[in-house]
Amino acid sequence: MRLSFYPGCSLEGMANDYARSIDTVFRDLGIDLVEIEDWSCCGATAAHSLSQTMSVVLPARNLAVAEKMGLDIVSPCAMCFNRLRFSQNMIRKKVFDIPWHVTGELRVHDMTRFMAEPSMIKSIKKRVLKPLNGLRVVCYYGCQMVRPPKITGYTDYENPQTLDRIIATTGAQVIDWSYKSTCCGASIGIARREIQESLTRRILQKAQQAGAEAIVVSCPLCQSNLDIIQKDRSDRCTPVFYFTELLRLSFMESGASKLFKMHFADPVSLLKAKRLL
Amino acid sequence: MQNIISGLNQAHEHVPGKKRKLIGDRGDFFLNRMQGETGVNISACYQCERCTNACPVSHFMDIKPHQAIRYVQLGWREDLLKSSTIWICLSCEMCTTYCPNEVDVAEIIHHLRNMAVHSSITPKEKSLAVFHQTFLEVLRKSGRINELRLMNAYYLKPDILHERIKNNILKEDLLLGMALLRKGRLKLFTPKFRAIKEIKKAYSQTRGEIV
Repeated sequence: MRLSFYPGCSLEGMANDYARSIDTVFRDLGIDLVEIEDWSCCGATAAHSLSQTMSVVLPARNLAVAEKMGLDIVSPCAMCFNRLRFSQNMIRKKVFDIPWHVTGELRVHDMTRFMAEPSMIKSIKKRVLKPLNGLRVVCYYGCQMVRPPKITGYTDYENPQTLDRIIATTGAQVIDWSYKSTCCGASIGIARREIQESLTRRILQKAQQAGAEAIVVSCPLCQSNLDIIQKDRSDRCTPVFYFTELLRLSFMESGASKLFKMHFADPVSLLKAKRLL
Repeated sequence: MQNIISGLNQAHEHVPGKKRKLIGDRGDFFLNRMQGETGVNISACYQCERCTNACPVSHFMDIKPHQAIRYVQLGWREDLLKSSTIWICLSCEMCTTYCPNEVDVAEIIHHLRNMAVHSSITPKEKSLAVFHQTFLEVLRKSGRINELRLMNAYYLKPDILHERIKNNILKEDLLLGMALLRKGRLKLFTPKFRAIKEIKKAYSQTRGEIV
């Protein structure tokens, strides 16, 4: 299977461990990811704040290139996925002048929903070498992946299940909780840190109350928000994993602690205690 | 018209001695304009406050989301454009998702933000407004966003550095930057982006209105 891959800016910098784990996991699953040639930023969230035209035109360039390649797009970043879908909707409505030839007929997948399809779950199950038994996690989806449902196409936006299903396949114990899609504060932390910290702290606290030892996310911004806030905490920290990191860990017979060296909330001691490293 | 005014009295208690605010002098011109530009049926709002209750940051806003909708209905354009509400909004889309009347509150707030940028009103949350502006400037130059470059450009904006020093967060920021560098999470160099001409073409669509 071949898909075009739209990584997004975060995966080059802050989340390049996410990018590497995606590479490994998809190679293991036998799916060919072709990076969109010369992709550019989707403009989130500044573009739609300052000009609606830009918020449609910037993602449209990537859609146009992908259409030339003729491959459906899969995007690991929740925000990019949301903006691509939004732009596609607007292109179909033909409200804006797009300088490129683009029809908006391609399918834009978000990576978790793509992986949670029954056929993919089956092939993940086949690949699991070392089940992550005994690891108790909660899955955190964030806002942009599930909302607004009219754009993202999620029908279970109040209690999304995609990440839960993927992580349950690896053998980890997934705990249900009610803060799955509460906002973590996003990029407001750059200008108004106190707002972001109050929101992020609450999510962290609720995850710990639910009895989770780790949080599983799929959005690079959620990961960095939840992770960086724990940078001064040495004990009782709750590691924040990308879901592909846990998949990669379960695909390997013996893990290596250097895979997690970009985390602030260090997961190595937790994984060692569970005999997963 | 009569019941709009009586609704106003309930929403905002009239303080004696203070000049009472009435409907915007242009009648429902502003409401019609907003409905036309966003394609949202704003008149459908019946003030159930579901949006404000769902909003994770409503307690940081001066005009709550449901009030913002009411302000649009009343045509109080200036009050909205100088509020902190339009800048604090995180676009988490909770309000839009849970509105029983399908009023796209987030879209309205985005649209007000666009209007505020193009007006001469100074934004109340200047640091947030400047951040968005910087983001688009960096994007035009390099096509993709490099976190380090973005933050550098942001700090070099007038008033931002000064404000950070005054609020004592500059040291914290520098320490965080160092920690991120040590973890290898910041990219120091970006390869030259080849399709920069196409990005310029995208920017020309806005006729120089934003950057």
